[in-house]
Amino acid sequence: MPKSFAQLNYYEMLDIEPDATTFDIRHAYNAALQVYQQGSLASYSFFSGDERQAILSLIEKAYSTLIHDQARKDYDEDLIRKGELGAEKVASAAVKKPVSIFDISRGSASGVVSTNNEALKSKISQSQLIGDILAQNELCGADLKKIRTELGVPIEQIAQETKIRQDHLRSIEEDHVTRLPATVFLKGFVKSYLKCLCLEPVEELSALYMNTMARLQRK
Amino acid sequence: MAQIWPIGGGKGGSGRSFLTSSLGQLYAALGKKTLVIDLDLGAANLHTLVGVPDPPKGFYDFIHKKISRLEEAVVETPFENLFLISAAHGNFDMANLSYEQKMEILRAITKLDYDRILLDLGAGTSFNALDFFLISQSGVFIATPEPTSVENIYRLIHAIYMRRIHSCFNAPDFRALESEVGRQFGDGAANNPECMMKVIARMYLEKYQQLQDEFSAFQFKLIINQLRKQDNAALGSQMTRMIEKHLGLHIEFLGNVAYDEHVHDAICLQVSYLERYPYTKTVSDLREVAKQIVESAGKQLMPRCG
Repeated sequence: MPKSFAQLNYYEMLDIEPDATTFDIRHAYNAALQVYQQGSLASYSFFSGDERQAILSLIEKAYSTLIHDQARKDYDEDLIRKGELGAEKVASAAVKKPVSIFDISRGSASGVVSTNNEALKSKISQSQLIGDILAQNELCGADLKKIRTELGVPIEQIAQETKIRQDHLRSIEEDHVTRLPATVFLKGFVKSYLKCLCLEPVEELSALYMNTMARLQRK
Repeated sequence: MAQIWPIGGGKGGSGRSFLTSSLGQLYAALGKKTLVIDLDLGAANLHTLVGVPDPPKGFYDFIHKKISRLEEAVVETPFENLFLISAAHGNFDMANLSYEQKMEILRAITKLDYDRILLDLGAGTSFNALDFFLISQSGVFIATPEPTSVENIYRLIHAIYMRRIHSCFNAPDFRALESEVGRQFGDGAANNPECMMKVIARMYLEKYQQLQDEFSAFQFKLIINQLRKQDNAALGSQMTRMIEKHLGLHIEFLGNVAYDEHVHDAICLQVSYLERYPYTKTVSDLREVAKQIVESAGKQLMPRCG
């Protein structure tokens, strides 16, 4: 059976941990008032008037002790002496520092890409297959896909970095002429795709691709 | 063995029968063989809610030995997989079962072969309601966010635990215990399970252990029904916190079920609310609660010590 309310320590009364912050304490106090206050539905008929008064005054005492830094320290030491509380559990006087909103690094995507760029470039220069494809005088989606798989870059990564929808990327790679986005968009998409894979020169390759596509569409 | 969920609530009109029939329909729709039993013997109306306005047989026949086995009192409902034992058409004194009759019913219920059994209990804290509630460890309390209902729920929870303690002692022992508690904690303390348990711990250690084990195995649950927009949605968790802190009893809060005018309409038309208004907040709440109940199912318990 649990201890009766008056035997609980102040932290237990307010249902908080001994390392609670001031904010937690305030919050817990408000929550306790909501439950124990005169007229609260949750404790309706649970206590007699006297019991309720006793509990409320205990909560008041707990709150006014814990919210006051010095009083709380004294109380903690008291509890530690009684052995109810381990010394390590007490709240340290850690002050919350303000967070600079300009410091927030917006995801690691850009950083990751820049470090990978060198690796990609060296792979491109070493790969026989990619060299062959780039040496052709036309470039279609299937070629792009071959290059991508050769480089081991998943399509999801391209979608994430370029913000181009995967279904667009797929129809580009599979040369679905009817499902390709409008020419204006297609040009931009292919450029982003090429940049993402560090294929150079971007302008020339994308022009090559667009020409190839125009020829395919005419057929 | 079937899982049994008694559904009790202190106050009349808090929605026990509605909840029982709705949960029954939900479980049946999941393909579980579900039985709903109307144990509100004096004011039976579960049959109306599950679409059997005039059940051909029921408890009456079992109590009066017209049929020997409770299985035979089961009637089918219009819902697939949902079955009913009705308490309609009883004698005027059917609500006042003798102890033997009650025990016989309890035993018979635990032997029934269904996937899930839901018991719709009567209001109040009569011994019938308490004993039927204690048939399993996973009873469900249902309250509405009104002082009257909250008051009755606390009474009921109190009474159920006291009943359990009581049934572990014979009459003279219990009287001795009561007077001892009164002497130590003052008048009225004999109604407080916490004070009671403290004294039992000192006087009957073995029984204390046993009761304590049993109480900690209880997985009672609380549902707040008919929650209107302006009501405090945190009431249920506040109540379980109160019970935990001041009575030392653990009850799990399962969730709120929103109030809906259309429940009344559906009952008046005698159609299933779930089927007529399937996309309301209330129905999605009911589904959520139904899921929660199954996820925290307890074992069964025969209401007798030792």
